[in-house]
Amino acid sequence: MEIELSPDDLKFQEEVRTFLSDNAYKAGDDANAWRHQWFANAAAKGGWDVPKWPQEFGGPGWTPAQHYIWEKETATANLPWDLPFGIGMLAPVLMAYGSKQQQDRFLPDIRARKVNWCQGYSEPGAGSDLASLKTKAVLSEDGASYRVNGTKIWTTLAHMADWIFCLTRTSDSGKKQEGITFLLIPMKQPGIEVKPIITLGGSHTVNMVHFTDVDVPVENRVGEEGKGWTYAKGLLQHERTGLAGISRSLVALAKLKEQAASVPRGQGTLMDDPAFRSKLADLEVDLMAVEFTELRSLASAQAGGDPGPESSILKLKGTEIQQRLAKLTVEASGLYAAAWGGKNPGPRFARNGMGSYLSSRAYTIYGGASEVQKDVIAKNVLGIKRSDARSD
Amino acid sequence: MNFDLTDEQQLIQDSVSRFVSDNYDLEQRQAITKSSTGFSAEHWQTMAELGWLGLTFSEADGGFGGNQIDTMVVMEQFGKGLVCEPFLASIVLGGGALKYGSQRAIADQWLPALIDGSRRLALAYAEVQSRFDLNEVLTSARADGDSLVINGQKSMVQNGEGADAFVVSVRLAGSQSDSTGIGLVLVPADADGLTASHFPTVDGLRASELTFENVRVNTNQLLVSGDRGYQVLNQVINDGILAVAAEAVGAMEMLYKDTVAYTQEREQFGHPLADFQALQHRMVDMFMEYEQCKSLLYRATLEVATGHEGAERSVHALKYLIGKTGIFIGENAVQLHGGMGVTEELRVGHYFKRLLVIDAQFGNGDHHLQQFAA
Repeated sequence: MEIELSPDDLKFQEEVRTFLSDNAYKAGDDANAWRHQWFANAAAKGGWDVPKWPQEFGGPGWTPAQHYIWEKETATANLPWDLPFGIGMLAPVLMAYGSKQQQDRFLPDIRARKVNWCQGYSEPGAGSDLASLKTKAVLSEDGASYRVNGTKIWTTLAHMADWIFCLTRTSDSGKKQEGITFLLIPMKQPGIEVKPIITLGGSHTVNMVHFTDVDVPVENRVGEEGKGWTYAKGLLQHERTGLAGISRSLVALAKLKEQAASVPRGQGTLMDDPAFRSKLADLEVDLMAVEFTELRSLASAQAGGDPGPESSILKLKGTEIQQRLAKLTVEASGLYAAAWGGKNPGPRFARNGMGSYLSSRAYTIYGGASEVQKDVIAKNVLGIKRSDARSD
Repeated sequence: MNFDLTDEQQLIQDSVSRFVSDNYDLEQRQAITKSSTGFSAEHWQTMAELGWLGLTFSEADGGFGGNQIDTMVVMEQFGKGLVCEPFLASIVLGGGALKYGSQRAIADQWLPALIDGSRRLALAYAEVQSRFDLNEVLTSARADGDSLVINGQKSMVQNGEGADAFVVSVRLAGSQSDSTGIGLVLVPADADGLTASHFPTVDGLRASELTFENVRVNTNQLLVSGDRGYQVLNQVINDGILAVAAEAVGAMEMLYKDTVAYTQEREQFGHPLADFQALQHRMVDMFMEYEQCKSLLYRATLEVATGHEGAERSVHALKYLIGKTGIFIGENAVQLHGGMGVTEELRVGHYFKRLLVIDAQFGNGDHHLQQFAA
């Protein structure tokens, strides 16, 4: 057993630090120009703009330890904004199941951050039970295109997207997981209507997307008709492990301690309050443990093994910790937690505190609600076979 | 960065695991707990012969030069069988005090006998008023010529029965709560003026209360004094915390796995209990908290073994989490076993009782969370 980084990993860590400081945003830089330069410089490092892509598609081919270092170092850096939908979600599906032609057509623009994608999975009647989706895609008689009708919901940033990747229903016979087809659809066309949904934090991030007689050429179908569920399922696993955000939570915890120490309480600060300190300490202990749960999971991946049972808990624990951090930030704001919007006269961190907390309630819902995750762990890790099994 | 055991550690793990499955089913264990000293002299000898007692001592002392990671490997397996032999008392605590103390002559004299199993030690550090604070020492040791004269009382000395000598924390100077002026002194169990009363503890183990009335020992039996006394005691207790945490992790693994197995066998309302989602989710929670404990156990143990910055904080974090989680998993294992869970017949209740004791041993959750947050 060994917790120290190897000499090679230390060298890599230094290289990452140098890259991040050389490319840091400087006051006066044009934000957009800086963003593009940042990704161009990262690409020139040999795939640092797409860390998780496999080498054959231009990724850096890092070891799990190198990925861990990258996560850790970038958690404290000011990075250019980026969206996960193209880079992290669609690209792996195209790499695994898309045609050569589709890969050549879509991957370069995704990598260059030129085209924004959104994800069309959930529907009003299909949330955690995603396989119940009903958006219909009917193949034309000449077999040249699908006609799509239906509604997607919770579509993050659909209002800014150029394309949507969609799960659609092409058949009602057989198991509901069969008969689902994966389609790529341009957003800017007649028949697609995007309606904003305002969430508790007051922000417009998610949408409802209506499809009315939208024709999609068959060359925009990924893989075979009826196999979309299999393609998407592999992807959901990617999504779930990527949601633990442990490095970022470590940074957030350090920040919260600073903030709490700046909040006056009588003659002292909030950090003198034993009840608050104790909640903060309890949270930190869990975070220290989950940090090593992630390392154990990485170490087994490094050794080439299957992810051990410990990796199944990362999303559950990671998102719960993010929520507790958000909650304690609200608590730290005291009375000012209630003041709404940018004019909050309280401590600076109180301005976003309540909004972030309210947004954080979604963390244990999206990407498979925590209760569904528990069903999956009970089945796949504890090996419990239910006679009335619901989820898979 | 890796969490693999070395080949030697793997061998030890396999051999301890085999020992536990051969010798420590519930019936065998209950027989041992009812024996006169509360452990098996024969097993103790086996442990010595297999080299387990010498793992963490230097080669110069006749050991194998291992560290806290080796202790973790052994104790995790011991936890699965609720092993009763005084490994913690004599090797981790008593032996640890000799190892970290400054008296080579005493270490030279005692360590070979500890390692070959012929003699045993116990650590007497707690007092009625000390609760969990190591610096709270009233038991006094007054110099008189080349003797120390000891007066006072020590509480809850694990495996005091069957110990050949006690490592005792004493006040050499200063007042009751000072961290300085604490010494560790070796006192033979048969010393004049030392009386011991032995009693069972709820987890099937043994403990003793000691009373010292003008007990005289030579000053050369002082292992450590001055500022170092408290530091060495703290170091020994930290090793003890790591050891019981590993034991607890072993016990928790058995508890969640026993529960998963039982709920798949037991039928009610025409279904195996494991069909019910409320129970499934509870078991997933037990599993997750167990994994979290294991992660923190690795972290704290590796950090202490490598002298990592922040290691002491991780030990506090670990003790807090182990206590809290041990009770959480224990209570739920009993609950999910239904009526059978509250009987002596199944082993779940026995793991639960050991975890309850471990929660308070070396300081409970509140104590360590406060230290952690300090």
